[in-house]
Amino acid sequence: MDIITLAEVAGNISVLGYGVAAIGPGIGMGILVGKALESTARQPEVSGRIQTLMFIGLAMIELLGLLGFVAFVMAK
Amino acid sequence: MPLAEKSGISLFLPETYDIVWSLVILVVIAVCFYKYVMPKFQAVFDARAAKIEGRMAQAEKAQKDADEAKKKYEDQLSQARVEASKIRDDARAEASHIIADARSRAESDAAQITENAQRSIESQQKQALVSLKGEVGTLATALAGKILGSELSSSATQTQMLDKMIDEMDADSNK
Amino acid sequence: MVSQVSAQLVLATKTGPELPSIDDFLPDPILFQGTPFAINRIILIRIVATIVLLLVMCITAKRAKLVPGRWQGLIETLLEFVRDNIVYQVMGEERGRRYVPMITTLFFTIFAFNLCGVIPGMNMAATATVTMPLVFALWTFVQYWIAACREKGFFKYLRGELMPPGVPLPIDIILGPINLLEVLIIRPFSLTVRLFANMIAGHLLVATCLAFTQFYLIESPNWGIKPVGALWLLGGFAFVCFEMFVAALQAYVFAILSTVYINQSYPEVE
Repeated sequence: MDIITLAEVAGNISVLGYGVAAIGPGIGMGILVGKALESTARQPEVSGRIQTLMFIGLAMIELLGLLGFVAFVMAK
Repeated sequence: MPLAEKSGISLFLPETYDIVWSLVILVVIAVCFYKYVMPKFQAVFDARAAKIEGRMAQAEKAQKDADEAKKKYEDQLSQARVEASKIRDDARAEASHIIADARSRAESDAAQITENAQRSIESQQKQALVSLKGEVGTLATALAGKILGSELSSSATQTQMLDKMIDEMDADSNK
Repeated sequence: MVSQVSAQLVLATKTGPELPSIDDFLPDPILFQGTPFAINRIILIRIVATIVLLLVMCITAKRAKLVPGRWQGLIETLLEFVRDNIVYQVMGEERGRRYVPMITTLFFTIFAFNLCGVIPGMNMAATATVTMPLVFALWTFVQYWIAACREKGFFKYLRGELMPPGVPLPIDIILGPINLLEVLIIRPFSLTVRLFANMIAGHLLVATCLAFTQFYLIESPNWGIKPVGALWLLGGFAFVCFEMFVAALQAYVFAILSTVYINQSYPEVE
């Protein structure tokens, strides 16, 4: 059983690759939103500014997740 | 359904007609926004802000006028109060003066009346004494004549006896 | 792979739903084929969305009254949201004034185009091919380079990016090319890919849910599996709502990242 037969039987290996690639951004996004909530709880008066920064950070991290998706789509 | 002919990478390679149409669309939208929509909304916002500023300035002026009128009214009120208390004090002083005057006048009147009464009593007493003196003299002479049994012939002896009797009566009454 | 299987069984009874694939995003031209002005389905959606957006905005602007009615109040809320929460919050008022029309255009256009993904007739976000987001990203790229050249001067800006102050030289050798790459390529590329991959993913999710609904609820010969189709329909609802949220969020993120990049071309305010 060589690697090509394995890939054919099991489907596309890029699906697995995308699954692995989604771990990093998932953890990062969780940490980001957790920190944003924590700092809002500490200082509610700057919550508007923190929310803006959270969205910017969210966009950056989501991009990394989508890069994995893009790689998956490109490999089809 | 046909097989998927295109591989994934063709998603990332734009077609020519796609680029052309996208540029056309973006330029049309941008020109429309820059030249028409944004200036119109900006004008509305500015007009509204100016109107609100104008109204707010008007409201401030009205408030200031009202404050000034209130201050003037309050000043007048305090002034009136001061005057009123002064008038009251003056009135009280005058009232006490009047009372004192009336009392002193009444006292002097009363003193005068009592003096008058005293004087009239004295004069009446003197009058009574004088009339009594006359009557008593006559009565005493008649009685003495009757007692003596004879009429006193000479008026000189009569007068002498009368005077002596009156002096004794005076001395008695003066005791 | 599923499409291959279903293609081979097209003459037999259906054993699987018609799942969406990449072909959805690469339709053939239907008008003016062959010329550089060919129109395919997605470009047609874009043209329709443009006409609707411009009609709505221009009619609202034309009838703008001093005391706003409800619809005008709604549009004004959106305009003020873009102006205050995106431009003025990041850039401040004096710098931001000249960029408000650009960011407003970006936000409204991207929002309107993204929403086409959930509108029943169109069902495909107008930003779902690579070109439209690329055009937006290139506009932002040009704007922040022009702002950098105007505010800081071209070479000063490059020096500030390649050799940031306060960084020792050995790290500079690594950091410099990375920063240059970021400013030149990664920023516009990330703006493009973020918008367009979000739209593709959203469309694939919704289309998959609805394809399964169609298959299990309507076309399947097996009656016992109909309730599963109802579940897929509920999933379709959830993903349509999620798609609307993602449409607004991606428009907001694109606008605010553009503002941040332009702001970084200005000298820092102490």
